[in-house]
Amino acid sequence: MRFCPFAQRTRLVLKAKGIRHEIININLKNKPEWFFKKNPFGLVPVLENSQGQLIYESAITCEYLDEEYPGKKLLPDDPYEKACQKMVFELFSKVPSLVTSFLRRQNEEDCYGLKEELWKELNKLEEVLTNKKTTFFGGNSLSMIDYLIWPWFEWLEVLELNDCVDHTPKLKLWMAAMREDPAVSALLTEPKVLRGFFNLYLQNSPEACDYGL
Amino acid sequence: MEDATRALGKGTLPPGPVPEGLIRVYSMRFCPYAHRTRLVLRAKGIRHEVININLRNKPEWYYTKHPFGQIPVLENSKCQLIYESVIACEYLDDAYPGRKLYPYDPYERARQKMLLELFYKILGYQNTIFFGGDCISMIDYLFWPWFERLDVYGIADCLNHTPALRLWTAAMKQDPTVCALLIDKNIFLGFLNLYFQNNPDAFDYGLTC
Repeated sequence: MRFCPFAQRTRLVLKAKGIRHEIININLKNKPEWFFKKNPFGLVPVLENSQGQLIYESAITCEYLDEEYPGKKLLPDDPYEKACQKMVFELFSKVPSLVTSFLRRQNEEDCYGLKEELWKELNKLEEVLTNKKTTFFGGNSLSMIDYLIWPWFEWLEVLELNDCVDHTPKLKLWMAAMREDPAVSALLTEPKVLRGFFNLYLQNSPEACDYGL
Repeated sequence: MEDATRALGKGTLPPGPVPEGLIRVYSMRFCPYAHRTRLVLRAKGIRHEVININLRNKPEWYYTKHPFGQIPVLENSKCQLIYESVIACEYLDDAYPGRKLYPYDPYERARQKMLLELFYKILGYQNTIFFGGDCISMIDYLFWPWFERLDVYGIADCLNHTPALRLWTAAMKQDPTVCALLIDKNIFLGFLNLYFQNNPDAFDYGLTC
């Protein structure tokens, strides 16, 4: 689905590795019955190859693509560096649900509480960059962990949460560096299109997934 | 067993650096998450030492190994720390030679990881006392036999990790049906003992007639 941040992870890896692929978008507000045969949980992203093998859970799809396809490796070969990327991924784990809660908030009182929680989580990531003294989360060049966490940072501007990174300068610099990456910039969605999608999605509109087409 | 040592608590001295050729795991004898890591260490024949941590009275120095004082944590002679049980297990498989526990094929690796997600979904699926809601229902009965057997060993859960499962087990044992069919621990252990010896009398163990 064009606006799903989890699916965006997979699309980023496909693009970064130059893997030939086709996309079938699923209307998440009106799922086709056959889709549950692809993933019993009915969620995107799902990968399907010519052997009929199905892989789901976004992080698992990304790792599968990195292992299966040649070209630039996004995950490091060194076991400890690889483990570090996965530990950073765990540190990030509360962010997606916080951002979704923020999107779904019913009133402005919830706003500050959620922002505070988000600041706390973003601070953890700032600490990683501070300790590592590198631009990206895996070192001085962009790697898997950066792609895995990027989609939610793309949303910050549209959700008017950019001030959440005012106190995390390294994270702010990382966001700017990410926007320069060819795969990231190729997959950027125009803020007003994203906003249009959010509006319709919050109203449970079955047209949401096709907004802007 | 390498892990049959007393748990270190507040006021203990921090252990020294890990000697070369060895890897250290901070653990607790009854924690299922740490158990995963110890299984992998053993399966791969990795030389290791175990330091047990008193989870109710954590040593101050332990927070330098894990920000929230959780276990398991691996520490090697390069002072590298790896935590989260699944990450630790994968690190050991990658870093050490010998038998690979994860398959080589990328799809088969992905399949194992998808199965693990299913497992977490079962553990995390509860937001009510019972799996189906506030009353016992089919799904609870369908799960129960496996959990009852784990419970017989008394190590069905760890102190802090799965409070929902612990509550569920306690609630299930209050159900009259579950109660009526509860296996006696000694009889079950007696059965298992004979069963593993391929003794045909295993099935009648404990019968008084």
